[in-house]
Amino acid sequence: MRTRLSLFLLLLFLSSCAVVLSWKKEEFRNCNQTPFCKRARSRKPGSSPFLAADVSISDGDLVAKLVPREPDPDQEDQEPPARPLALTLSAYRDGVMRVKIDEDYPSQESPHKRRFQVPDVIVSEFESKKLWLQRVSTERVGGDEGVSSIVYLSDEYEGVVRHDPFEVYVRERSSGDRVLSMNSHGLFDFEQLREKKEGEDWEERFRSHTDTRPYGPQSISFDVSFYGADFVYGIPERAASLALKPTRGPGIDHSEPYRLFNLDVFEYLHDSPFGLYGAIPFMISHGKARGTSGFFWLNAAEMQIDVLGEGWDADSGISLPSSQKRVDTFWMSEAGIVDAFFFIGPGPKDVVKQYVGVTGNPAMPQLFAIAYHQCRWNYRDEEDVENVDAKFDEHDIPYDVLWLDIEHTDGKRYFTWDKVLFPHPEEMQRKLAAKGRHMVTIVDPHIKRDESYHIHKEASKNGYYVKDASGNDFEGWCWPGSSSYIDMLSPEIRSWWADKFSFENYVGSTPSLYIWNDMNEPSVFNGPELTMPRDALHYGGVEHRELHNANGYYFHMATSDGLLKRGNGNDRPFVLSRAFFPGSQRYGAVWTGDNTAEWDQLRVSVPMILTLGLTGLSFSGADVGGFFGNPEPELLVRWYQLGAYYPFFRAHAHQDTKRREPWLFGERNTELMRDAIRTRYMLLPFFYTLFREANVTGVPVVRPLWMEFPFDEATFDKDEAFMVGNSLLVQGIFTERAKHVSVYLPGKESWYDLRTGTAYLGSKTHKLEAPEDHVPAFQRAGTIIPRRDRFRRSTTQTVNDPYTLVIALNSSQTAEGELYIDDGKSFEFKHGAYIHRRFVFKGGKLTSLNMAPATSGNLPFKSECIIERIIILGHAGGPKNALIEPGNLKAQVEFGPLLLQGRSSSGVLTIRKPGIRIADDWTIKVL
Amino acid sequence: MKAAKARAVLALLSLCVLSIAGSASSSIPTDPFVGIAPEDLKYYKSSDVIKCKDGSKKFARAQLNDDFCDCPDGTDEPGTSACPGAKFYCRNAGHSPVLLYSSRVNDGICDCCDGSDEYDGKVNCSNTCWEAGKVARDKLRNKIATYKEGVTLRKQEVEQAKLALVKDEEELTKLKNEEKVLKGLVQQLKERKEQIEKAEEQERLQKEKEEKEKKEAEEKAEKEKIKTEEDAKQEKKEGEIKAEIEDIGVANTDHEKIGLVEDTPSDQNVEDDFEPLKEIENGDNAVSRGQQANGVNQHVVEDKDESVSQVSQKESEIAVEDVSRADQMTASGKDLSEDTEALSKEELGRLVASRWTGEKTEKEDKDGIIEDSEGEDHEEMSKDAHVEDEDEYASDADDDDQRYEEDDIEDDVDEDVPVEDHYDTSSSHESQSDDELDLSDTTTQTSPSWLEKIQQTVRSILQAVNLFQTPVDKSEAARVRKEYDESSAKLSKIESRISKLSDKLKYDFGKDKEFYSFYGRCFESKQNKYVYKVCPYKQATQEEGHSTTRLGQWDKFDDAYRVMIFSNGDRCWNGPDRSLKVRLRCGLKNEVAEVDEPSRCEYVALLSTPALCSEDKLKELEHKLELMENEQPRPHDEL
Repeated sequence: MRTRLSLFLLLLFLSSCAVVLSWKKEEFRNCNQTPFCKRARSRKPGSSPFLAADVSISDGDLVAKLVPREPDPDQEDQEPPARPLALTLSAYRDGVMRVKIDEDYPSQESPHKRRFQVPDVIVSEFESKKLWLQRVSTERVGGDEGVSSIVYLSDEYEGVVRHDPFEVYVRERSSGDRVLSMNSHGLFDFEQLREKKEGEDWEERFRSHTDTRPYGPQSISFDVSFYGADFVYGIPERAASLALKPTRGPGIDHSEPYRLFNLDVFEYLHDSPFGLYGAIPFMISHGKARGTSGFFWLNAAEMQIDVLGEGWDADSGISLPSSQKRVDTFWMSEAGIVDAFFFIGPGPKDVVKQYVGVTGNPAMPQLFAIAYHQCRWNYRDEEDVENVDAKFDEHDIPYDVLWLDIEHTDGKRYFTWDKVLFPHPEEMQRKLAAKGRHMVTIVDPHIKRDESYHIHKEASKNGYYVKDASGNDFEGWCWPGSSSYIDMLSPEIRSWWADKFSFENYVGSTPSLYIWNDMNEPSVFNGPELTMPRDALHYGGVEHRELHNANGYYFHMATSDGLLKRGNGNDRPFVLSRAFFPGSQRYGAVWTGDNTAEWDQLRVSVPMILTLGLTGLSFSGADVGGFFGNPEPELLVRWYQLGAYYPFFRAHAHQDTKRREPWLFGERNTELMRDAIRTRYMLLPFFYTLFREANVTGVPVVRPLWMEFPFDEATFDKDEAFMVGNSLLVQGIFTERAKHVSVYLPGKESWYDLRTGTAYLGSKTHKLEAPEDHVPAFQRAGTIIPRRDRFRRSTTQTVNDPYTLVIALNSSQTAEGELYIDDGKSFEFKHGAYIHRRFVFKGGKLTSLNMAPATSGNLPFKSECIIERIIILGHAGGPKNALIEPGNLKAQVEFGPLLLQGRSSSGVLTIRKPGIRIADDWTIKVL
Repeated sequence: MKAAKARAVLALLSLCVLSIAGSASSSIPTDPFVGIAPEDLKYYKSSDVIKCKDGSKKFARAQLNDDFCDCPDGTDEPGTSACPGAKFYCRNAGHSPVLLYSSRVNDGICDCCDGSDEYDGKVNCSNTCWEAGKVARDKLRNKIATYKEGVTLRKQEVEQAKLALVKDEEELTKLKNEEKVLKGLVQQLKERKEQIEKAEEQERLQKEKEEKEKKEAEEKAEKEKIKTEEDAKQEKKEGEIKAEIEDIGVANTDHEKIGLVEDTPSDQNVEDDFEPLKEIENGDNAVSRGQQANGVNQHVVEDKDESVSQVSQKESEIAVEDVSRADQMTASGKDLSEDTEALSKEELGRLVASRWTGEKTEKEDKDGIIEDSEGEDHEEMSKDAHVEDEDEYASDADDDDQRYEEDDIEDDVDEDVPVEDHYDTSSSHESQSDDELDLSDTTTQTSPSWLEKIQQTVRSILQAVNLFQTPVDKSEAARVRKEYDESSAKLSKIESRISKLSDKLKYDFGKDKEFYSFYGRCFESKQNKYVYKVCPYKQATQEEGHSTTRLGQWDKFDDAYRVMIFSNGDRCWNGPDRSLKVRLRCGLKNEVAEVDEPSRCEYVALLSTPALCSEDKLKELEHKLELMENEQPRPHDEL
């Protein structure tokens, strides 16, 4: 008996070890197991066989043929490309150059398969920005023997196509300095579609899976160089540092390339180039010398990207005609075409704007969606929901959304409810809605194969499922068991899907219900690498390999469209998605998937979210607390304190974890978590204004320090701290029982502690005591932050609450800030129904200016809200009174606390009850 | 400024309107003292400069409820939402007064039944205190009634417990005395037995010697034939006499056995159970039975509770558990991704899903088999397994469906109102644990003279048996052995009872020993396919058919005897050890209701019991009712 017990304990111990290290590396392909990647990576610089010919202008574009050079007779095994390729170069306003390279299909329609071009990503407005190129000039650049063709991009920049060897780049007109280039190292390769030769085997096998690869090899690879760059960033999604480390080059033993292949990765690691749930093939470079540029390859097939360390090409014999400091990168994709966008910059925000100019601006979320979300797999039944909801009130903790994971359904049939656990879904939602709260239910893309399930019945009858290689409905395994997957590539099918969200079709849904799309990589438990086989077939004969990374995007799109339809086009959808692709920002929020309750994972959440923001996905967050595992209370508290600044702020947990709602860890911890959540609610006017900025410009809500301080080199590889807008710097605490925390405060101006108002000098690393009750956060001198200091059960009750303005004066005693308000839910803001104020403090006077263009629209938005308190930090004098115009009214000035429940401080001037309305023009002079 | 003033006036106006519309007798303040509890009014009215209660600041009377937060603790804004730390007092005439978080003031939601928290005119809250109060008072009255009855029951319980405890103590003392005496007797018998055995041994040796001598004498024998025949005659005579004596002896012991033991079936069983154990033990140790017996008994007695009375039941449980644990071990201890290539698509899907869900898949269950079997066998195997699993899947889903069917949802757990409505939870009943049946059935309740009888018997034996008689009297020896065996069995029984009793008395039965009666009892609650069994001081289980999952071993009381904790139950796959918290509340019967699993493998249950119906709480409730009734406006005021 005893031996049996100890054996049991031993096994138990071993099994718990296995749980810790449970990332199943061997289930996923590495580059060496991926023939196109292995092959591309082994190519030598200068091996590209193409040269440009027949360069001309056609329909406002530069067009050319890429012709294969005569094969080198010494290299017998080299397969010369049979046909030339077609290149199209276009210029767009605002500093964007686009280069497309595809097969030069014969003019007559051939039975030939066409390569896939990803539809519905580029927004229609982008085409309207196209510059109609009139002429192309040629010149010999530098010491080139051959010629280059040059076109106009903007007044400062030109696009250049070098003919032989073939190369494309952007250069500054005046200096001739390069900005971005493609194929400068001659690594461009393009496997053209062809007939299968006798005896040739195109199949690929991985573990127990076979990919029939009916169209054979069709990969593309090329090198891209970023000039004047110190670092490159972007290409999510992975758990890794913000500044991308080189994956090849001197001193790097072996590293996988950065992989872009949407996968459901169980218990992912916190520092790995391995690709996770989403893919955005958009890279940004930044450097002190040049500023910022970006490169985006619109391609949905598996992609692998190497960042090449300095000196990687030392023995290649290729010398670039430029001595500029640069970062070289190498891009490989399994299929598709070259559809590449060169973003000129020159500032970080310019590049982001240029990128969203192509892929679309982030959607404007509803106010509730940027507040606090409470989620768990699973809130089990209606009683559970009611209890959790009640506990928030009992502890006076605000929250806006309660989430239901997969267990709420009837046997994982989405759009249904478990009749026993959730017999009265409408009543349940109404109860929440009575407190202004919302609910989110999960709707996944795998459909249970069950003849009695209406979605399955319709989908199989109408042929709406993705097909397997032999043309039958593809069947995979997911939560409900045997499942099929709706083919969202088809607009017709998306429209059918969208209709499923109407109140009539989604029985038990109410207007306060929104949606969560999970597993849309897609996750297929018994598929290769836990996803769909690459030879599965989508609408129009498109192979899954060609659109894999966009799969989740189309699903997200269809769901979001559904909510839009449901609300008659006037209710902003909220859909959270796990998989994403360029353009996903138009449809909702994303989160970083199934993270783990570990300090390192808290740490990596910051670069992950920053990277998403840089690549257009402003509305993102990580599961607060960590999805897997049980966080120690300290970690959970720290996570809340940091998560309060995530654009998307949601706590979530795996079903095997202990309950961890904020009140379960003793009074002190409850207080700390309540404080963290309230900090978010206090800053909601500021956040909402930033979401509007992102909506208009694409500039993300949370930003790397270098985005706000592009000339401060010390910030370029920082990813422990981040900016919220241009005004707030937040530094996470990522270690247990931290006594101290070091914070680098960039720029010349001072920073004010968000809680005490204490001033700190800029351009300096401060070693601070690590406080228990918050993570360090500072307001930048020269900014004004709007707040709401009253707490309610949810955002819904705050509509009439007054505002507080916090003015942090810089060394010249000035500051600026903005406030954007609308109804928080409808699309009426698109017709001008909003208030947008600009606050300027200058010469001892605060002025509120209207930012909304007079002609913006015909729908007014009214607010009676007043400003109850104006706080001034860093004021040089000792004013006693404030004079308000119009009305010549006086308000009292006193020293007050920066936070209502904090202590008064002599540095914190407070104008008491100015009583002015937020909507009006006014000035306040401090005397 | 103007706007604010206008708002304030509006607010006051709407207050007036409200108070007019409300009850005339209740004095909803139309002054700046809104939101202040009556007992606090003095604090605010005593001077023109008021201190923040936390001592951090002072504020002028004019700053009281001026909708601007001056005190960090909210002292200056009891009636507005301006300070997050403030509390708003609603009088709720006709019902109970309530202190609200300031976040509820003028938030558009009616929180106070008198509507006083919403005075900005944005919503119109009707006064529902009268109705709500009536419901609450009725509820409270019911609760008080339950408590009253419960208090009586509790008193009885406590009385009984006290008596029973005294009895237990007495019994223990008595048993200890008996043990002492019996030990002495057993020792004596043992010595005697050993002496007899020694004598027998000597006799044997003597016999051998004699035999030897006999052989030597054989030569002489023929010579003395005649003399030998005479000797034989003499021996025969002696043998007849001996047989007579033996008969008498047997009758005697039989009689004594009946008289002194008054064996009950269970005792018999215990002895029966003993026998094989003893034999095993003896078989193992090749030492003579007589020498070892005492020690063996001792050993067995110590383990008796565990190893004897429950042996069969427990063993089967353990076997079941071990099997399932072994399954889990294969499931979790193994790298799940191993051999995935050998799996069918469906198996692979299930296997991967199980990483997230922790559910078992047939791959895990059949792991060993799959590895061992090959080719066709393997395919067949997995096919079967699949079918099985499909069934399991379906039935699982069904179970989920039924799980809450019998749940009385309206009857939610209100910790403040923990009594009523739970009288007739038919699904719950109590049962005596098997263990207790054993216990109650003791020999010690029978005539106390048994010990004396034993003493007498032993004395008589000791006197009767002549040690120095040669050859050793066979019947006497048997009698000693028998007496020894019986006495030592008796002793071990007493020792077992003593250890049981003293174990019992070590437990915490509550301040007034009100939980004494829980000892040895189990409370059951049936919820769909599960039977939950809560055995205080022992363990809690969840039974489904023949399989039993231990939710926890008895740990302790918690939260001032309002919670029972069972911990270290069976381990969950990929999760914690199971545990159960049983919240206790006043009720007239001991019954378990509402077993729930709010967090995976952390169960909670509710147990109503008179033990929780304390007098103090009753007084508190009565006081509360009194207050409510005092607050209640006279009926004509309501109109």
